[in-house]
Amino acid sequence: MSENNFLTNALTDTLISRRSFLKWSTALGGAAMVAGSGASSGLQRVAEASTAPAVGNWVTAACWHNCGGRCLLKAQVVDGVVTRVKTDDTHADSPDNPQQRACARGRAQRQLVFGADRLKYPMKRKNWAPGGGNKELRGRDEWVRISWDEALDIVASEVKRIREKYGMASIFDAVGSSEVGRALAITGGVVNRWGSVSWGTWAEAYHEITGVPGNGNDANNDRIRMRQAKLIVMWGVNSAWSSNGSPTYNYLQAKKAGAKFIFVDPMYGNTASVLADQWIPIRPGTDTAMLLGMAHHLITNKLQDQAFLDKYTTGFDKDHMPVGADPKNNFTDYILGTYDNTPKTPEWASEICGVPPATIRQLASEIAMTHPTQINTAGAPARINNGECLPHSMLTFAWMTGNVGTIGSGCGPSMHTAASNPGPALVTPGAAGDPAVTNPISKAVISQGAVNAINNGEMWEAVLNGKYTAGSEGKKDINIQMIVSTGFGAPLNQRMGATKGIKAHRKVEFVLADGLNLASHCKYADVVLPVTTTWERDGSFQTGNRDMLIWTSKVVEPQYEAKDDIWIAREIAKRLGADPDKIYLASTMQRVFNQLAGAKVMKTDGSGMETLVTITDDDIKAMGVTGKPQQGRISVQEFQDKGVYQVTRSANDKLGYTAFEGFINDPVKNKLATKSGKLEIYCEAVSNWVKTVGFNTKDPLPKYDPPIEGYEETLKDPRFPLQLYTIHYMRRSHSSFDNLQWLRELYPQEFFMNPVDAEPRGLKEGNIVLITSRHGKVIRPLHITDRIMPGVTTLGEGAWIDIDEATGIDRGGATNTLGGDYPTGQGHSGHNTVIVQVEKYNGTLQPDVKWAQRIPLKGV
Amino acid sequence: MAKQYGFYFDSSACMGCKACQVACKDKNDLPVGMNWRRVTQYGNGNWVPQGKFLVPNGTFVYSLSIACNHCENAACVNVCPTGAMTKRSDGVVLVNQDQCLGCRYCEWACPYGAPQFNEAKGVMTKCNFCQDLLAQGQNPACVDACPMRAIEFGDIAELRAKYGNMNAIEPLPTANITNPHLVITPHRHAQASGKGTGKILDLVQGG
Repeated sequence: MSENNFLTNALTDTLISRRSFLKWSTALGGAAMVAGSGASSGLQRVAEASTAPAVGNWVTAACWHNCGGRCLLKAQVVDGVVTRVKTDDTHADSPDNPQQRACARGRAQRQLVFGADRLKYPMKRKNWAPGGGNKELRGRDEWVRISWDEALDIVASEVKRIREKYGMASIFDAVGSSEVGRALAITGGVVNRWGSVSWGTWAEAYHEITGVPGNGNDANNDRIRMRQAKLIVMWGVNSAWSSNGSPTYNYLQAKKAGAKFIFVDPMYGNTASVLADQWIPIRPGTDTAMLLGMAHHLITNKLQDQAFLDKYTTGFDKDHMPVGADPKNNFTDYILGTYDNTPKTPEWASEICGVPPATIRQLASEIAMTHPTQINTAGAPARINNGECLPHSMLTFAWMTGNVGTIGSGCGPSMHTAASNPGPALVTPGAAGDPAVTNPISKAVISQGAVNAINNGEMWEAVLNGKYTAGSEGKKDINIQMIVSTGFGAPLNQRMGATKGIKAHRKVEFVLADGLNLASHCKYADVVLPVTTTWERDGSFQTGNRDMLIWTSKVVEPQYEAKDDIWIAREIAKRLGADPDKIYLASTMQRVFNQLAGAKVMKTDGSGMETLVTITDDDIKAMGVTGKPQQGRISVQEFQDKGVYQVTRSANDKLGYTAFEGFINDPVKNKLATKSGKLEIYCEAVSNWVKTVGFNTKDPLPKYDPPIEGYEETLKDPRFPLQLYTIHYMRRSHSSFDNLQWLRELYPQEFFMNPVDAEPRGLKEGNIVLITSRHGKVIRPLHITDRIMPGVTTLGEGAWIDIDEATGIDRGGATNTLGGDYPTGQGHSGHNTVIVQVEKYNGTLQPDVKWAQRIPLKGV
Repeated sequence: MAKQYGFYFDSSACMGCKACQVACKDKNDLPVGMNWRRVTQYGNGNWVPQGKFLVPNGTFVYSLSIACNHCENAACVNVCPTGAMTKRSDGVVLVNQDQCLGCRYCEWACPYGAPQFNEAKGVMTKCNFCQDLLAQGQNPACVDACPMRAIEFGDIAELRAKYGNMNAIEPLPTANITNPHLVITPHRHAQASGKGTGKILDLVQGG
């Protein structure tokens, strides 16, 4: 039929609504543009799509990344080739018992494992020689394929040479506690890296202020109890991008149950697009000021829950100060400005945070008058320079409203694997059984000062200038001549001050890296070792979502000559004269078995853990390990086939969780492990901790301390009038996945800016812009959007550094090219405090998806 | 009435994460430039003075995930000069690549951007409802992929009975062009097709 009428129909139909037609077509702009690029999927081998479904085995395939999601992935293996992946279909899906569905990154994982840019063989830099050779060529040199023996021999001989010449404290494990670091530790020692990267100041402040171990990721309600909250404040939370997988779905259930959602965030993110009843934009790094302004509103209007404060906290007013503390240094008098003549009014706060005073009052009143309210934050607001007081002020505000310890109330960072669902794990794996390793020279026990351990914020500086901060003892000398970037972490790309990091890499005598692909830390190394993905290993256990434990299996044999980190560490230990069994078990399957046999699950009455897996003699024989049979809930076969054990949950079960429930019910019997036994608004411990770390000081009270490179500095330094904060971006899990073509196509690594800032600069949508900070320059395509606050810009963290050697400009748009290394407070990283200028770039930049893959060895 | 497959999409739940889009690419081995399912965002908002502050005014953003709607009046089928584009008895619109000349009329005619040209082979491709999975009684890959459970599929009559008849929100074209077999639960800020005040929010590259 179509031959007769195709032209007529086409014309008539499309003219009917050409306008609406074209609008949707622009949504395809990105795709249409690249369609003619001789498009390939970037895979080494791609099975042809077929109408007949491929027959093969579905193997539970790890999604092992540090994204914050914890999802089930299965790979279909046909004749040794993975033809597709799918996600959780192991049980019927329901809001109470959701399947753990993978995100875009997980679904793209074939491109990571089988990418044409996988590292296939050990390599050395062409112009490398013992001692470094031409060190300036690091990051620019060509690569030469070498054998594993040659690679490992080079590593061992350089370690020995450098140790002989410079002593034991000359090799820096830039990752901190990597597998190779263990080999170095038992053969004399290695200098470690320390400091929180993700959690901002929550990592230690929370523990000191509340007496509860950890970083506060368990400070709220589990996902089912959360549904009882009437108000949920999302303070710097965008789970849709930061913890994809189930968390946003869990929040949606709270929304459906009637919770109101208020987002406090510089950006109207994708999570807000689903959930937000109100959006309060705020300048990065100024949240503490806003919280203090909110506290002022409560105090001056007597809206605080005084009974709660009197019973459960210390330091709120002069009558509730700890013995020995200056009674004048109480929270109420600080807020009222009694002694410093600066009342922390909403007007005072608004000048700093950019939120109108009326909105500050409204939010304060609404939280104070709504019970239960749950305040969810994430690491982001506390991931700032001088951010020590953010957790402290946020918790204090929540305590003032009495929103702690009752079902549906709470306050803390709901992020990473505990996002939306905190609480003790209901299923846990056993220990792998590797021997404990002691590092004889390095100590990062900061309460006593660091010894041969270097903080994130000064690691590259220490390599370049030979000094590091050793706690309150001040600076000590150190002479780093070898950088080890192996295992987890991608330090060059992912630690602040990357421009300095590149210089540090070009200074030392040897740089060792391993990886899946030529990411930044490998690109700037002398010797690069290809490692296997978790798909190529005997098995792994993925934890973090309290409801379940994932057991992944080997999907394919190691690709080309890739080896796993443990094998590499053992081989290096051997070459340095140590017994490799002292760092890792010889059998990786035995490690899997130990974790399996030791797996525990919470009893349905919540009274304690019991054995999860039934193991028979046949199972032990089949796995080729040593062990004893045991009785548990499920068989090895069932666990392996499903790949996951998920506890069944329901609204009124015994597995729910609310932080501080015991303390609130009986604060005497269940007193907290703080000095006062209470929640500490006046907290000497956190103050002492910061003093001992040695970078700066913190008052025992939560006070506003303007961050380095915060909003205030944009007013003082006319060169950099805009704030930049750095978001988690769906193309990547930190720096992982950045190279995948499918994800590059969908997530272009655009730079976000408000029209209010773009227009006076003459900038248009899609322009290539040059972003300059005190530390470096990057270029990126500009996306102009009302979703971000004026004066604030953002860029996704984790893009691979790609320096144009002619100009020194980073084309990749790595945020750490722009961010400066400032060690402050407890030694966390202040990724969200950067100030920048933006201008049109007079040059071109191809969309990332059109870039050539980084394939270091041609023709092999 | 004959069976007619269609998609249901819950715009109120979609977080725009593109898991469905990549699941589709993985299932169907689609290279860069070919996206049988497409996610986009639509919205607007501006900033107005409030005292000395600028505050957001009417900011809204919502996401859509659209594949082929296997339309009642399928423009792609109507314009195809060779009969390569056909509608199966269950309503699934398929392209027979052996008959396809690669003239790309269907691509031009479809208001949803569903038919996509495979440059390497010189033929059209499109969402085939994961016909191999359907034949095995399984769901299309996108349906099982969604972390927000925003995509369903089934007989369009049943979907309409369950979720209503909404089938066109911005920035989709008005439904009268092709009568799409699509049912949408609109986002709380969704605007009717042709009556929108927003714009597509994805980066327009190459400026």
